Amino acid sequence: MSNVIQYIIDGIALGAVYALAAVGIALIFGVLRLVNFAYGELITIAAYVLAVTSNWWLPLSLLAAVASSVALAVLTDRVAFKRLREAPPATTLVATFALSFALEAVWRLVFGVNGRSADVLGALNTTAISGAIDVRWVTIVEVVVGAALLSAIAIFLRRSTIGLQMRAAASDIRTARTLGVRADRVILSAFVLSGVLAAVVAMLLTAGSPLVTPTLGLEVTTFALVGVVVGGMDNLVTATLGGFVVGFVNAVLGDALGADLRVFLSSFTYLAVILVLLLRPGGLFASRRATGAERV
Amino acid sequence: MSEVATAVGLAVEGLEVAYGPVTVVRDLTLNVEPGEVVALVGANGAGKTTTLSAIMGLVPAKAGAIRLGDRSIAGFRPERVARAGIALVPEGRHLFPAMTVEENLKLGTIGRRSDDGLAEDRAWVEELFPAVRDFSGRRAGDLSGGQQQQVAIARALLARPDVLLLDEPSLGLAPKTVESVFEALTEIRRRGVTVLLVEQRAQLAIGFCDRTYVMAAGELRLTLTPKDAGDSARIVAAYFGS
Amino acid sequence: MSRARTAAIQLLGPIALIVIVGLLGSASSGAHQIDFVNALVQTTIVIGMYIFIGNSGVISFGHISFVAIGAFVAGVLTIPSVVKPTLLPALFPLLANHSVSPFASLLIAAGAGALFALVIGAPLMRLGGLAAGIGTLAVLEITHNLLRYWEKIGPGARTLSLVPTTTTMRVATIGAVVSAVVAYGYQRTRAGRLLRATREDPAAAAGAGVRIHGQRLGAFVLSGAVAGLAGGLLVHALGSITTEQVYLDLTFVTLAMLVVGGMNSLWGAVVGALLISFLDTYLGYAENGLDLGLFRVNLPDGLSTVILGAIMLAILVLRPSGLTGGREFRIPGLRRRATPAQPDAEEEDGGAAPAAETSA
Repeated sequence: MSNVIQYIIDGIALGAVYALAAVGIALIFGVLRLVNFAYGELITIAAYVLAVTSNWWLPLSLLAAVASSVALAVLTDRVAFKRLREAPPATTLVATFALSFALEAVWRLVFGVNGRSADVLGALNTTAISGAIDVRWVTIVEVVVGAALLSAIAIFLRRSTIGLQMRAAASDIRTARTLGVRADRVILSAFVLSGVLAAVVAMLLTAGSPLVTPTLGLEVTTFALVGVVVGGMDNLVTATLGGFVVGFVNAVLGDALGADLRVFLSSFTYLAVILVLLLRPGGLFASRRATGAERV
Repeated sequence: MSEVATAVGLAVEGLEVAYGPVTVVRDLTLNVEPGEVVALVGANGAGKTTTLSAIMGLVPAKAGAIRLGDRSIAGFRPERVARAGIALVPEGRHLFPAMTVEENLKLGTIGRRSDDGLAEDRAWVEELFPAVRDFSGRRAGDLSGGQQQQVAIARALLARPDVLLLDEPSLGLAPKTVESVFEALTEIRRRGVTVLLVEQRAQLAIGFCDRTYVMAAGELRLTLTPKDAGDSARIVAAYFGS
Repeated sequence: MSRARTAAIQLLGPIALIVIVGLLGSASSGAHQIDFVNALVQTTIVIGMYIFIGNSGVISFGHISFVAIGAFVAGVLTIPSVVKPTLLPALFPLLANHSVSPFASLLIAAGAGALFALVIGAPLMRLGGLAAGIGTLAVLEITHNLLRYWEKIGPGARTLSLVPTTTTMRVATIGAVVSAVVAYGYQRTRAGRLLRATREDPAAAAGAGVRIHGQRLGAFVLSGAVAGLAGGLLVHALGSITTEQVYLDLTFVTLAMLVVGGMNSLWGAVVGALLISFLDTYLGYAENGLDLGLFRVNLPDGLSTVILGAIMLAILVLRPSGLTGGREFRIPGLRRRATPAQPDAEEEDGGAAPAAETSA
């Protein structure tokens, strides 16, 4: 029994982190129809900034991390994506790859291949509860921060004017613009918000394991992106749930599989992904009402 | 909205629109005087919707001038056109289906130049379209076609536009509902809003509007007034004639 | 006659380019030969991807799994049987007890690629758009995971070495040429034309009775065969291979080659592959000091990848439909016959132009 509780706690914690990454990806996709593989680099830069500033006053270090990923998010849009608004989907997809590839090389160049330690929130990596179940502080923080931030985003999108405009743009940017919604401003907001989320993801990840490598963000992004598609990417809520589920399943399988099978963890996860895609191509959580309701 | 006719007109001159190599609208000149209700009719593919899209800045015009009052708005992006004072009710209505009616209406106010008089405008559209009030908490996508059309027009009016572009408001609606839409149009006209209406039902449009332009193959073919409403032969000839 | 001549020219362009690279490679100094062989093998991979992606318009992240399977099958079947028990102790008896000639291993690699493509394509080809992309990515991840940890089918996380290096310049050239002929031949067949129709307008093609699933699956299997062959060529070129060499990096680079060249034409696939491959190689050399005659370039370590990424990004931003615009090879100045009525959209159009919106 305590095993199951342990699995669930770990699953919720990792699910929360992936859900945050998934929101960041789904926000950009919603507004721009852009599948941004380079999203991972926003996480990576924030993690490196945490590493570099690990001897600063903590709030300043966290702030610097947020600033770096927001700046990079906006910069990538200005330099690359803005010019590709009308390009075929394959081109924009590969462009986000190319960007990710180049940035990864930059991280190698600047920070070396062996990784840096971002021990800013290391204090969280200690046991909070021990006994039948083990809970580290970072697990608690992941759950709390994840829930709080997701709620904050939900409130922001529902209650604020710019949030309302972002949802409208994500649903139908053409119509939104004819109502006076400024596309540039909405897109900028989406990139800023996705940058903030990336920084938070970086904080949570480095709190759990402080080693920052050049591919840190890419790994998370791949899983989160899978989650977004599995959940249903046309809708922020379903996309977020998808990210959560992928994180949850990953953590639970990681705990539950025996040592000899654990190495095949990603095979199990991706097999589940394929099954979901085949059985529910519109997404695991997409309502029948939502699919096909809108004309293209 | 004050009843004082500080209405603003819309003028299009020499408009040309092409999708790739295909010219869809050529040398189109039309004029909607301040406070007028003018219709654009024609067969499918005549270029009516494209004309509205070009005015709205949704598709680029290859040539031509577009003026709102005495201000040129050619080349403006859609959001700027909206904020300049033109509102579009697109064909198929294009509400945000997953959002509530209330949220859809709130988005209608984004393009307002001032929030003065918002409460009055709101009261007015609710009077005009009771569905807006009755279903304000419902998902827009769950409403019937007629109710959606009402919400779409209400949303556009809340921007307090000088010019309202209406694309096929009667499409797919029951006759009774169509009637109510046109009754609302009468009210809208009384408020001094200039209207450019695209309509498939030519007879209806010609009888209702101050003037009706007939479009075919991307060009204006004919201008009709309400007294021509019975002259089917002329209308048919303009629709299908060379 | 004229049509046949157009076709001949369209095929001869890519072939001539491949052969020229092969000849230049043969003439180059020994140390640089492997770069040319590599470029030709990568071209074969990209042609394999093009057969499916280019003709169907559906992105696949899974093709490198066919390359991986081709490489490991061809490798495991050709290493000397005496070293198998030490190198690959846990191997299935079928693989442990059989060895074939390098040439036969290429055919088996192609067959394995095709078979694997058939097995995963049969369900996955029902997906389109992003779901197809993620589905094929899942296949790549699973393939990589199994090859890396399942020691009954390969060396696991260790390097598969002692593979006979039989992919000479001539073999690599022939491999790329054969792939190009297969690719071009396919796109001229009825099946290829139907699949291209589904790329331009899936709804209309389906309405006209084209069975999208079947057509996509056919191309997927054929491209799996070419990618499997390329995997065989790769392992015989390198002599050793690890699972990491046929994973995400290669997936990304080859996809980028295809899109940078122009994913809707064979010419684009070949140009993109060769250009990026050589760019990659020589930027790498520049890190160790590249003598350009007049001056010496010496890049800091790692900068070459940054530059490569930036160049690819720049090409995509400046030419979103690729360097060739997705057009087949034409001899400049040689005018096409006048066909005012039908500009043969299938060959002329990059397919990149957004479909004209319908107006009321």
